[in-house]
Parts: sequence; structure tokens; C-alpha cells
Amino acid sequence: MNGYAGRILRVNLTTATITKEPTPPDLARDFIGGRGFGIYFLLKEVPKGADPLGPENKLIISSGPISGMMIPGGGKCDWTTKAPLTGGYASASMGGHFTAEMRYAGLDSIILEGISPKPVTLFIDNDRVELRDASDLWGKTTFVVEKQFKEKLGEEYQIATIGPGGENLVSYACINHDYGRQAGRGGVGAVMGSKKVKAIVIHGTKSIPVADMEAYRKAGMALFKACKEAEGLKDWTRYGTTIVVSWCDEVGALPTRNFSAGSFEGGKNLYGPVMREKIVITDKGCFGCPSPCGKYSRSKKYNSYVEGPEYETIGLIGSNLGIDDIEAVAQANRLCDDLGIDTISAGNAIGWAMECYQKGIFTKKDTDGLDLKFGNVEATFALIEKIARREGLGALLSEGIKRASQKVGKGSEKFAIHVKGMEQSGYATHNATAMLLAYMTCDVGAHHNRSWAITYDLQVGRELVVPEKVARIIWLQNFRPMFDVLGGCRLQWVELNIDRELYVPALEAITGIHRSWQDLEKVGERIWNLTRLFWLRENEDFGRQWDMPSPRFYEEAPKTGATKGQITKIEDVNRLLDMYYEQRGWTSDGLPTTETIENLGLKALTH
Amino acid sequence: MPAILRPSGALRDLVGGQTEIEVESGQTVRAALAVVGIKPEVVALVVVNEEQRSKDYVIQDGDIIRVLAVIGGG
Repeated sequence: MNGYAGRILRVNLTTATITKEPTPPDLARDFIGGRGFGIYFLLKEVPKGADPLGPENKLIISSGPISGMMIPGGGKCDWTTKAPLTGGYASASMGGHFTAEMRYAGLDSIILEGISPKPVTLFIDNDRVELRDASDLWGKTTFVVEKQFKEKLGEEYQIATIGPGGENLVSYACINHDYGRQAGRGGVGAVMGSKKVKAIVIHGTKSIPVADMEAYRKAGMALFKACKEAEGLKDWTRYGTTIVVSWCDEVGALPTRNFSAGSFEGGKNLYGPVMREKIVITDKGCFGCPSPCGKYSRSKKYNSYVEGPEYETIGLIGSNLGIDDIEAVAQANRLCDDLGIDTISAGNAIGWAMECYQKGIFTKKDTDGLDLKFGNVEATFALIEKIARREGLGALLSEGIKRASQKVGKGSEKFAIHVKGMEQSGYATHNATAMLLAYMTCDVGAHHNRSWAITYDLQVGRELVVPEKVARIIWLQNFRPMFDVLGGCRLQWVELNIDRELYVPALEAITGIHRSWQDLEKVGERIWNLTRLFWLRENEDFGRQWDMPSPRFYEEAPKTGATKGQITKIEDVNRLLDMYYEQRGWTSDGLPTTETIENLGLKALTH
Repeated sequence: MPAILRPSGALRDLVGGQTEIEVESGQTVRAALAVVGIKPEVVALVVVNEEQRSKDYVIQDGDIIRVLAVIGGG
């Protein structure tokens, strides 16, 4: 089958059974790859009510037809599972070189199921697939594990590994790869840890069949040419995602002290140029990337190295914790990566705990003696370690802030910044109604990668609540995640603004199937509805209430910064949802109607 | 001598597809953006003669000003 490696690897860890099955052509036709494959297998194979950390849950790793190909950004793979953080759908995207190696080893997907009786490494070298004892690696941090494998096997082997966070089943444990790339959100690392899989080591030398080699060469070159000629290439490469720190600060979108404001008085010390000058050593890209956004940094103060920090980490572990020292943020980033926990959720959890301390809900008795004032760097480092080890206050925070705030009560639920249990990523949304809706309706929880609309809010009027805004979010939700289906990176489109039509001939040359963006967006819409149905299947009370944002964005206007005194009214929050559900073809409680399911051809899959 | 404003990527859509626009010196970048029809707050990065500047930078004769926005998102 052109454009596909042709095999799906299934590893039953309970029985140590390894099998391969052909990639079904109708699966490739209907769901293409990546998170499309992920939701298909999740719905079909994980039984209703499965414990996210039990043997019935599965971890589904999928590449797409442009993964590992001569296409800009073809280095992404999707990790789908039932999320321990939220109890719903999780799909985490990971860059680096893992997905290319998967394809060269002849694999479109890897499905991990069951639970191993002892720690193991899944070792894959072309057709050789083995489960190897990893007892000696259990307890080790991610950088140590990756370095150990690279030194033993060679640089051409790609490694994905969990750290102590995943082993200890932290609800937002991540999976690390390439010394700084992660499948970050939803707790995919905890699922891997629950299965006692410490690492996946992969290497391959096969090739991917291509429908029209000459057309593929031409289409690939056209894409690279567009990237190389893009006006913004130089600046995006120089600063990566940190380019937006100063701008977010200016417009009131930079999360500050647990999202109580959107501008930070110490923000200037965290801006991209400051970081570039103070700590960045070099640029670092993923497979096939013409615009490497990764910044590899060295902190002299802490004598440590890290890939990053990128925007999200600066926002959540810098300004959101009141920390204005870029070296401290870099060191906290390194700790999270090494221990294997998501920086976005960790930053939120610590921010929430700091606010509890500020309000007197927590005293030193609750914080293991830590002086949890906003801006306390050493306390932040200590708490990161405690979360990953599930010690003291860290044990509570490791459950995620939805559960933690429900346990603590005393009004702390109101400043637990999450949607559906997933902590909000790095954009304050007090007065940015399109972006607020993007977070409310994102299919994994409050994450920005499905749709992003801060600039759009500013262009058309940030407080405006109109059907056009809602339509924009729906279009983005159908379109942007298609990069996660195709197995590629969206940032060439996002940052360099290259014409998305250039992908159409490339995909056709690879797979032999012509798909317009209109066709691709329809696939995106089908996947979006399936993820919604998964939430519904797994949560009996699922509906409108699950889409509500933190009250912070409709009850508490910031007292400082660019959005001082600004807020989204609760009536507008509900109007946004009303319009969204109507345009999606869902009920007023946010559930896909029978008619919508039938119109999208999903009836068979939902029975 | 006027300065040159170069909008990047999707910002060009806001100025009728122009890649270069002459702007008067002596005004801030913020003011110049408003004159050409770009809301200053949507611009994420200002680079003048290859140095990053704020939107309050006062334009000098002969400056080459690149402005960049994040349209597609994070």
C-alpha cells in the first residue's frame, strides 16, 4: 500500500506475545494515520469503563503517510490512549526522529496492551522485535536511560522512555525522546509506566513505497523551497516559540501567577531575545525540519543543559509561578524532562498550590515545610521532584488539579485552571473569546494545539461573541489536527505561513490518492466527533458542564496588566457553547446527534 | 528618505498583498502600522535593520522594518 509501511505491531505485555498484522487499506482510506488510527483503535479495542492504568487500556503509537518522508516536518507521531489525567481521550504528539524510525522498521502503528509482570524495554530493529528485561533501568531518569542506549547501540537507534514520573503513575507523566522532545499531555507516560514498559528502542532501514517518485520529489522540493523562502524563517529559527513571549505579555495572554493576570511585571527577563543571549547554545530540529524551533540551552548558574525552554514552559513555569529568571525556568524544565512529567500540567499544579498557600488554604504543614510563595525558585524545584516521586504535597498534585482541588475544597476548585481535568496551556483567556472557546471544546482538555486564535481575537475584536468566531474555531479544529493525522508538524504552516495547498500534491504522490483540503477537513470532522463520542462513552454525566472553563475567566478580572478589569461574561461563555453545538450538529448539551453521526458515516463505529 | 515596512506572511493579506510599503520616518512603528491598516496589537515581532525593536521605536530615514504576526497559532 503506497505511503504506508504496511504493518501494525501489537505487543501483549501480559503474555509477552508479539504479533504483526497488515495495515488495513480501509483504515488508511478512512482515517489516514496518526491520531486517526489512534481514535479508531481506542474506540474499537478499549472496552467501555477500562481503567486507564489497567491492562484493558492500550497505548497506540501511530505515524502517518508523511512521517519519515522528504516533507518538511515529517517527524511527528501520535500517542493515543484513555487518559489517566482526565478519564477521556488523550492524544499526545511527539516530534524528534522516532516516527521516521518506526516507518523504516516497517511499522505504521505500535499497540501496547496488557501489563508486563516486570519492567521491560521493547526493542525493535527492523523485523527483530523483543521484550527485554529493564529491571536495571527502572528508577532511572530519562536522560540517563537515553544516553545509556545511545552509547550501547549507536546514535541511529531512537529511544522513547519514561522517567520516575511515569513509573510512579503521575497523572500527567510524559514520554521523553531525543533529549527533550515529549509526548507530553494527558498522562501517556503513566499509561506506559502502568504497563511496565520503561522504554521503546527502535531502528529500521526499510523504505516506504511511493506511488509516483518523480511527483513526490517535485512536491517535496516545492514545500522545502516555500519554507526556505518564507520571510519569517530567520526569526522563527532564531527564537522558536519564544518569539511570542513578549507579545503575549503585551496583549495580556501570558499566564501570570496562576492565570490571575495576563501580563507579568518580570516578563522582560523571559523574552526570547534575553533567553537567546543568556542561555541558548544552538538550534535543534526534528526529522526533516527546515525551521528548527528547538533551542538547546545551557544554564551556567545550575550547570545544566536542556532543550528549551519553549513558550509553554516559560509561560507555565516562569510567569505563572512568578519566576522571572530564565535560567531557573530552564533548570525547572530540565528537572521535569528528566523526571518525565509534563511542564504545562506541572506549572499549573504548582501555581494552584502557590495560590492555596497565598490564600492560607495551605500552610507550611501542608507543603512539607516549603515556603510556597509565588516566585520561590527553590520551592518550585523541590515540588517538581516531589510530584514525580509522589511524595508529600507532590502526591496530591500528581493527581492533577481537578482531583486535587476537589479533595482540598475550600474554594480552591475556582482557581484550578483546567477544562475536563486537563490543565490549561499557556494562554490567559480573560478576554479572548475565540481562544477561550478553543480551550473549552478541545478534544483532550485545555490544550492549544487543536485550534489557536489569540491573533484572530485581536483582529476581529477580542470580546466579540459572534457565529463567525465559532466557525473559525470549528474550521481550525477540523483542519489543524490533520497534521497529527498525516504525521507531520503544523509549525511550517503556523509559523512560516506556507501555502497548505502544497501538501496536497505531496500526499497524492506518496499515497496515490488525491485528497483536497476539503476532503481532509471532512476526515478531521469525523475524528473530532469520534473523540467526542469517546468522552461520552467513558463518562456517564458527560455534557455541557465538561466544556466549562475555569471560573477565573468569567468571575475574576485581572487587577493588573493589559487585560486589567477585563473579563468574559458567563452569558457569553454559554452563548459561545450554544453556537458551537449548533454549528457542530450537536445537542444543546454538547452531544453529537444521531443525524450528525449518520451524516458523517460513523454509525457503524459507534455501535 | 522614507523607510520601508515589510509585512511577513499573513500580515500581507491585511495590506492587499503588498510585500513592501513606504512609511514616513519620525513616527513610531506602532503609528506606522496603524496608518497602513495593520492593528499594532496583532504584530508579535518588529525587526528594524536586523535588530529586534519595540513597537515604540521611532522610525529613522532608510530603515528596513520587518513585522511578523502569529496568525496560524501556537
